[in-house]
Amino acid sequence: MKIFTKKMSLITKKEIDLINITEDVNNAVTESGIDNGIVFVISCHTTTGLTVNEGLPDLELDIKNMLKRLISDEGKYNHSSFLHSDGQMAINAPSHLRSALLGFEVFFSVENGIMQKGGRQTIYFTELDGPVNREYIIKIMGE
Amino acid sequence: MIDMHTNPIMIDEVVKKEKDLLDNINKILSFYFPPQPLEVILLEMDAAGIEKSVLLPLDCTTAYGCSVVSNEIVIDLVEKNERFFGFASVDPRTEDALSRLEKYIDYYGLKGLKLDPSLQLFSHDEKEILYPLYQYCMEKNIPVMIHCGLNWSMLATAEYTNPLMLEETIHNFPDLKIIIPHFGWPWINETLMLALKYKNVYVDSSIIYSGTPGQVYKQVFEKQIGINVIESSLMYKMLFGSNYPRTDMRRTVRGLESIGFNPDFKERFYKENALFLLNNKEV
Repeated sequence: MKIFTKKMSLITKKEIDLINITEDVNNAVTESGIDNGIVFVISCHTTTGLTVNEGLPDLELDIKNMLKRLISDEGKYNHSSFLHSDGQMAINAPSHLRSALLGFEVFFSVENGIMQKGGRQTIYFTELDGPVNREYIIKIMGE
Repeated sequence: MIDMHTNPIMIDEVVKKEKDLLDNINKILSFYFPPQPLEVILLEMDAAGIEKSVLLPLDCTTAYGCSVVSNEIVIDLVEKNERFFGFASVDPRTEDALSRLEKYIDYYGLKGLKLDPSLQLFSHDEKEILYPLYQYCMEKNIPVMIHCGLNWSMLATAEYTNPLMLEETIHNFPDLKIIIPHFGWPWINETLMLALKYKNVYVDSSIIYSGTPGQVYKQVFEKQIGINVIESSLMYKMLFGSNYPRTDMRRTVRGLESIGFNPDFKERFYKENALFLLNNKEV
C-alpha cells in the first residue's frame, strides 16, 4: 500500500469563515499517483472544522449563522479563565464547541486516480477562531 | 479605533530577529503559545475594527539581561507599517537610560515611554534614576505608561504596582502625562481616584483577570464603577487598550461594545484621547 501525505497551511482572515479547499484536495490526489484508495483531510486544530456542503455563498452564510445561533458568544462557559500553559486568556469556548459540532476530518473514496465526490459537494476548511495561521493534512492511502 | 496597549511578541518575524528572544519571552513574560506571522496581527486588527496600535517594548537589562522586545524591533515594525505607533522603554537603572530615551524619541520618533516596576525591578522611591526620565518626558510632552496592577508574568511581583505609589510622582510632575494601564486592576478604586483627581493621569481599559472581556467590563465598569461615573469623569482620560496577545482584540472590542457607552464617550475613549497623547498636542 502506498501512503501520500501533504501538509497544507493557510492564514485565515475572518473570525468565522468557510474556505473552499476542494481544489487543493483534488490536486493532492493527482500528485499522489494513487489510483484506488481513500483520501483523508484532517485539521490540526481544535477551533476549526472540516465539513462538506454545497458550495453556495448563501449556504455558507447560513452555516455561519447556524453556528452562531446554536452556540452563543455570550453564554456561560467553564472555559473562561487564564490558561497558564499558553500565557493568555482562554475565552474561546464558543469556537471549541462549534468545532465539536463540525468535526475535524472528512474523507472520500479515490477511484481511477480521481476523488469520488458528488457534483455539489464542496470541502470546507472552517475557521472558527480566526484570523490565525492554520494547518491541515491531506493523506491518501491506496494502491 | 486606536489600541494603546499591544505587546509585539509571539510574532514570527520578531522572534527570528534575535537568537534568544523567544526563550526570553517565555521566561520573562510567560507566553508559551506558538508565534504567528505579523500578517495575523494586522488581520486581527481588521477583524476587531482597530485602525492603529501602539507597540510596547520592555527593557529589562538590569533584572534579566535583555529586552522583551527591544526598542529597535519596535522601531523596525513602526517604520515598515503605518498602522503601528511605538513607545520606547529604557531600564532606569542603566547609566545611559536618559540618552537612549532621547535618541528613541528625538531621532526615531517614538511616542512615549513604557516602564514596568514589576519586571524592571525598581521602586517608585528611586527618584534619582526615575525623575530625569520623567523630567525629559514632561518637557517633550510625551506620555509615560507605568505598569500598575496584575502582571501575568510569573516572574513579576505586585510589590510596586499599586497605583497609589505614583501619587508623589504625579504631584512632583503635574504636567507629565501618566498612563495607568489595566485600569490598575485589582486597584480599581485607587486608579479611579487618581484619574478623577489629577488632570495628568490617564487610564487604559486593558483589564484581564477572569472571564470574557464582556463579563469583565460588566463587572468593573458597570457594577464596580458605574457607567455614569466613567462617561462624565473619564471622558478625556480613558484609553482603549487590548493587552494583546494576553487576550484577543475581537472579543475585547465586542466586550466593550456590549457595555453601551454613549457615542460621544466612545469617540474620545476609542480614538480621540489616544490621538491627543500620541500627537503631542494640547487640547
